[in-house]
Amino acid sequence: MALTAFLVGLLTLALIYGVLALGLHLQFGLAGMLNFGHVAFFAVGAFTSALLSLPPAGSEAYLAIGGQYQLGFGLPVPLAFLAAGLAGGLLALLIGSTSVRLSSHYLAVATFAMAEIVRSVLTNEAWLTRGQFGILGVPQPLRGEVFGAASYPYVYLALTVVVVALMLALSVRLTASPFGRALRAVREDETAARALGKPSPGLKLRAFALGGVVAGLAGSLWTHSLGIIHVGQFVPIITFQVWLALLLGGRGNPVGAVLGAVVLMAITEGTRFLDSVPFLEPLTRRNPSFVPSLRYVIIGLLLIAVVRFFPRGILPERLRPPPVEDRRGDTA
Amino acid sequence: MSALLQTLIFGLATGAVISLSAVGLSLSYGVTRFINFSYGELLTLGAYLTLVAVSFGLSLPLATLVGMVVVGVVGVLLARLFFDPILSRGFLALLVTSVGLAFVLQNFVRMSFGSTPTRFPLPLMRPWRLGELIVPKVPVLVIAIALVTMLGVHLLLRFTRMGKMMRATSDNAALARASGIVTARVLATTWFLSAAIAALGGVLLGMTQLSLQPIMGWSFLLVVFAAVLLGGIGNPYGAMLGALIVGLGIELGVAYIAPDYGYAFAFALLVVVLLVRPSGLLKGTF
Repeated sequence: MALTAFLVGLLTLALIYGVLALGLHLQFGLAGMLNFGHVAFFAVGAFTSALLSLPPAGSEAYLAIGGQYQLGFGLPVPLAFLAAGLAGGLLALLIGSTSVRLSSHYLAVATFAMAEIVRSVLTNEAWLTRGQFGILGVPQPLRGEVFGAASYPYVYLALTVVVVALMLALSVRLTASPFGRALRAVREDETAARALGKPSPGLKLRAFALGGVVAGLAGSLWTHSLGIIHVGQFVPIITFQVWLALLLGGRGNPVGAVLGAVVLMAITEGTRFLDSVPFLEPLTRRNPSFVPSLRYVIIGLLLIAVVRFFPRGILPERLRPPPVEDRRGDTA
Repeated sequence: MSALLQTLIFGLATGAVISLSAVGLSLSYGVTRFINFSYGELLTLGAYLTLVAVSFGLSLPLATLVGMVVVGVVGVLLARLFFDPILSRGFLALLVTSVGLAFVLQNFVRMSFGSTPTRFPLPLMRPWRLGELIVPKVPVLVIAIALVTMLGVHLLLRFTRMGKMMRATSDNAALARASGIVTARVLATTWFLSAAIAALGGVLLGMTQLSLQPIMGWSFLLVVFAAVLLGGIGNPYGAMLGALIVGLGIELGVAYIAPDYGYAFAFALLVVVLLVRPSGLLKGTF
């Protein structure tokens, strides 16, 4: 029983990471943009969704959950979910409109820095987020009235599966669409794409904003699955876990992005069993952060290994073969 | 008036630590042409290994030297193991590998030393009094050490044979090889120097911040990036200038705008620089 509960939780988390990876797929997989600040969109989406759906401060429901936050709007969760996507998209539009023209290295550093600024704001503006204390009692849709605590994780998993399936289908369509092809052209050779009349900065900005929308939606899924939100959840390593998921699954392939996230979560959450490995016990007793740190060491090594030995991932991108005329020219 | 001067002294000390670290990062960027996200962990490693050396009974200056040499060698080994094999694979592979390496190193430190903050055994030093003004000794010491080290790097780059070879390799590696320079050896020397400087930067950072934490190098990294990009990436002299601006910017921002934001001022400065003048203030080679 405990194992099924663990697996259900794991799969929900993995699928949420899959949504994050779909966002990065649009930005990096298709458009080739190095977004090292993905966690910012995730965080903003999560906070937007939580604050919009929480009962207003001072209301009866607020007193019932013992709330200590200051802002709450009591909107229905589906509305908050959509608003989270909007917030993620707007932030991405803001960041993208200033930095989408930067070349690769600089874009990586700029997005990384902007994510840290966002985190700094969320940490320090306690009236909004309660800072390090976090907010408890984030509403969970359908919980209580319809489904009890025991069956709720299954219900949420089903909900997540539906959302992920929908977004995956959209991503697959988008990847194959003219927009997706134009983005890949920009990724492969920006100068050539511009010479062919593709407005590359505009295309990249749209891809970046869309990626932000998707990451914002992932934030909403995540916060309502936990019912708790605090800034400590949104550290830079999340960004790089999403990168690892995407590279592992195969960049440029949306199915690969979700698959990569599931495989990654199976590996990293599997390391929770390290807690019960007998010969590690003396070490963990001396240093409580031993096993959590070991998990990050494993993530780091995995990132290095995937880039070095497995650069195309589990499901490599499928590119259309060049037209037949080209080949005839070669063999002649 | 006295408060402003105090702020300036601390700003200069922060600037000096950033400056030194930025020079180290620029050296390795100058010859490898990628932004190393694991550079901050070399600072952390330097600080913690120095602490280990102190625990064996060495004095702090001697322990720092030991830390610098060990981290220098570690830097060369890491480059051999992780970066050299994929140098031809483009910047994405290098960038992501350096992030992975950063997590490995940072958490290796956490596994070995735990996450509780610790500190250097600095003797109690009475501040100097100049009339109204109280001048604390640690920041002045930090500034002096950083300045002397940077002067050393300057002399090395300008007047020694190895320094000239490093500059030649940075300017044009193919041409340097054609002129008979063994660029592999130059690369290894640069990694050693860059990592050793990082280790010293880590010790000085530990002294100015008063505490050591496994995450110290990672959170300091963006500040160093800000300085490096502001000064013109790959140019150690630009890095010194950029660091001075960033260091003063942080301390003045904390003192006069919003005390809680600290490093965020550096990040904001970084973003502004990237947008307004992505090539930095000075040219990108030395």
